[in-house]
Amino acid sequence: MRTELSKYKNSKRYKSKIRQDLFFKSIFQLSALLSSMMIVIIIVFILVKGLQPFIAGYQYGTRNFFEFLVGLVYRQDQGIYGVGFIVVNTLISGFGALLISFPLAVLTALFIAKIAPKRLADAMQTVVELLASIPSVVYGVFAAGSITVMVKNLGAMLSIQTAGGSSLLAVMLLLAIMIYPTITSLAITSIQAVPEDIQHASLALGATTTQTNFKVVLTSAKSGIFAGAILGLGRAFGEATAVSMVAGNKLFGPTFNLFDITRTLTSTILTGLKETTGVDYDIRFSAGIVLMIVILISNLSINLLKNRIGSQK
Amino acid sequence: MENAFEIKNLNLYYGQNHALKNVNMEIRKNAVTAFIGPSGCGKSTLLRCFNRMNDLIPECRIEGEILTETEDVLAKSTNVVDLRTKVGMVFQKPNPFPMSIFENVAYGLRCQGIKDKTALKSSVMESLKKAALWDEVKDRLNENAYKLSGGQQQRLCIARAIAMAPEVILMDEPTSALDPIATAKIEELVQNLKREYTIVIVTHSMQQATRISDDTAFFLMGEVIEKNTTKVLFTIPADKRTEDYITGRFG
Amino acid sequence: MNRKKLRALKDRLLNGVTFLSSGISVVVLSLIFIFVFSRGWNTLNWNWFTNDYWSVNMYLALPEGSQSSYNKPSDLSNTVYYSSKYGFAVTDYIDEQKISQIKIVYIDPSSPLLDASILTNGPDFGKANPIKVNMLVQKFTYMDDVGISHSAGSIIKQNAAQFIDTLETKSISIKSTYVQTIGGGIRGSLIATLLLILLSLLIALPIGIMSAIYINEYASHGKLTPWIRSSIELLTGVPSIIFGLMGMLVLYPITALAGANGTSILLGSLTLSIVLLPTIIRSTEESLKTVPDHFRSASLSLGANMSQTIFKIVLPSAIPGILTGVLLSIGRIIGESAALIYTMGTFINDDPSILKGSTSLAVQIWSVMGGEQPNFQLACAISIVILAIVLFMNISVKFIANSLRKTW
Repeated sequence: MRTELSKYKNSKRYKSKIRQDLFFKSIFQLSALLSSMMIVIIIVFILVKGLQPFIAGYQYGTRNFFEFLVGLVYRQDQGIYGVGFIVVNTLISGFGALLISFPLAVLTALFIAKIAPKRLADAMQTVVELLASIPSVVYGVFAAGSITVMVKNLGAMLSIQTAGGSSLLAVMLLLAIMIYPTITSLAITSIQAVPEDIQHASLALGATTTQTNFKVVLTSAKSGIFAGAILGLGRAFGEATAVSMVAGNKLFGPTFNLFDITRTLTSTILTGLKETTGVDYDIRFSAGIVLMIVILISNLSINLLKNRIGSQK
Repeated sequence: MENAFEIKNLNLYYGQNHALKNVNMEIRKNAVTAFIGPSGCGKSTLLRCFNRMNDLIPECRIEGEILTETEDVLAKSTNVVDLRTKVGMVFQKPNPFPMSIFENVAYGLRCQGIKDKTALKSSVMESLKKAALWDEVKDRLNENAYKLSGGQQQRLCIARAIAMAPEVILMDEPTSALDPIATAKIEELVQNLKREYTIVIVTHSMQQATRISDDTAFFLMGEVIEKNTTKVLFTIPADKRTEDYITGRFG
Repeated sequence: MNRKKLRALKDRLLNGVTFLSSGISVVVLSLIFIFVFSRGWNTLNWNWFTNDYWSVNMYLALPEGSQSSYNKPSDLSNTVYYSSKYGFAVTDYIDEQKISQIKIVYIDPSSPLLDASILTNGPDFGKANPIKVNMLVQKFTYMDDVGISHSAGSIIKQNAAQFIDTLETKSISIKSTYVQTIGGGIRGSLIATLLLILLSLLIALPIGIMSAIYINEYASHGKLTPWIRSSIELLTGVPSIIFGLMGMLVLYPITALAGANGTSILLGSLTLSIVLLPTIIRSTEESLKTVPDHFRSASLSLGANMSQTIFKIVLPSAIPGILTGVLLSIGRIIGESAALIYTMGTFINDDPSILKGSTSLAVQIWSVMGGEQPNFQLACAISIVILAIVLFMNISVKFIANSLRKTW
């Protein structure tokens, strides 16, 4: 028996089996490394390409990085590229959308997870899932055909002239709708994860169910709810096609008037669409870098805010 | 009336499962009553009847009466929320809210709509003092309650219950998650608290029952086998099964 | 007592607010559906799926002196007008630009219309090009009884009835015609979307599954694994437009090697395959985790090596998870627009191929919404198709998840 085995161990079949094992292991490993490298590749390449226009000796005329960052005018036709106001616009529209969406989403999540009877909760959950599955370009069509009309009429009522309804307000409303399912579903998950014992503790102290829901459940689900807000905000900042359908493309700014047209980082990146070379091509990557930095910084600051709220009462 | 509760013909079902069988018992005021018995014998279930926490279990059905001086706890008309302000509860695992120490103690009062800052402050202080926690936390009332040790958290939960000025405090194995030193502190606290409150405590440990309780009830498979003063029950048990249990022959 | 009433009131108010918030989302969802369906429903019909987007004009010669008498088929409705002289029937048709047109709905098998040939100068001159049903008649040039040629058709503002009447009463023979194919269809985008789905999955599935296997089977406790996991997780937070930029920059050279010049379906697929990786990896990993460890130990103890165990034991059990990943991916591909605008292009191509630029359904929406006159009808009709597919995918995912729960 033993000799049989040792014979087998020296046989070609056994060796090829070992080789085969090693082979598969290494291609699995390679795939995993490739997958995890992607984020690095994206960041490095866009960084390199996007910084080119600011490096001395750039073939289409070097730009000043500082002027790019704080500039308040963006006119490709005149070769002026300033994204300062665009960053402000992006922040305003994103946080504006969050401001509208966040309370609604959290309240809906509470309704679904704690208040509604089972059937209604299931139906509402489906509604949220449906909203989440609608592609952004469809939201864009909807916004261009109905939100803008609404804004235009509202403007007309207040005797404010709008550019056919394309406006900061339309962008905010559109984004609020788009990030709502994201925040809601994360909030539902974290509300459902609140341990029962502290809810019981609250009830045993003579709190009503509603008081328990609003005071204990929401406080305990805080970190998940904030994670949802971060994700929603990231989506709001990064949303491109739908936003550019209703943003208008303002050449200067920043835009604070709700009824005025605006311009976000993503709609800016999409405007250089037809270019294949030149500054207009490269500058999109610069705007891409700024977009990623905006998302990163807003994530970090919300996290900070969360911790601050957590440590206080 | 010198009884806090009078239980009459109480039967409780979880779906098909008959969890409490025809319980009749009196709970003396300003005394510590301990419930002992093996796991799953119904002692925690009975405890949760006093403040109607069993209402939260959808399949649960209760028959019978639990009378206080003024009302029947189990009656449909009883306001559960009010009942729970009169009957406080401390749970097995310390379960403070994810808030500051101060807010934890003030929580119940705030839920009653009390907003006056000085009133809240004085009642938080008083409750923490009664729970023997004040000296340890007086300088860090705004810190998150999760930063306290397990024993401190449990005393915080007791303070939280005391703040509501209840008549009864229910304790569901309050020391089972704690180390011996923390346990000793809680036991000492219970001794002090019984002057003001009626205490019903579920415990796994017979030693604990003998150390802190005045009365003891022995549960077995949903039935109350025997209830008497602790001294009598542990020295001359009337029932053979009680004797078997306290001498360690099963359980 | 007053305080209690206040509390009850407050509770009711708070509950009401949560109810209202939920109500708002229902209203929004209904508004979206009402909007899309009311604008797009009329465009939906079978021909629309198979039509080209661009309409083609054709100048065709008809065989002369071919007038005879054809029998009218009995099943024509009364809004259809029949020419017994030339054996075809037409009806009035409003195209998507709201212009009245005359549409051919029937051609007799021996009609001279089937013998038409191209009259435009060029390499195709004289080539047979039979007129087909569903083409739009712009103009017929006919000879009257004194040998003078005249025009009939929508070009001189005739409707179908007038057009047929002219031909029947005045014409002796027909000489030439301008016809137009109906445009506004989505055939090209449908094919492009299918190609895109196939190619993206072909690239992303193997890489994604193998990555998941490595992470879960080989390196679940490795030092690098948390890094690998979180860097894959990071990909989900990257906005799609950044993927588009990356595709244009990093992946374009790869497709250029394959012979693509500019945007192409291949480039779009490569880009999307990276977008899909986290989805596929996560759903595969989740189902790998449900495979009980004793399956693996049993296989290993029988002398199978690691890779044999994976291919024969672990992977088959992970198929539902992989399927979920595939369905979710298809939904994502169909809805994706920003990452494709740069990589697949915005030109609606009726004849898509892998190395050429074309639009997916979603990007076709973007294309027809751009410009001075956004075409809401077409955009909404495509939206209905996209919504239907995406919903179907989501329901299937739920279905799989439910049936899985039952079997385990």
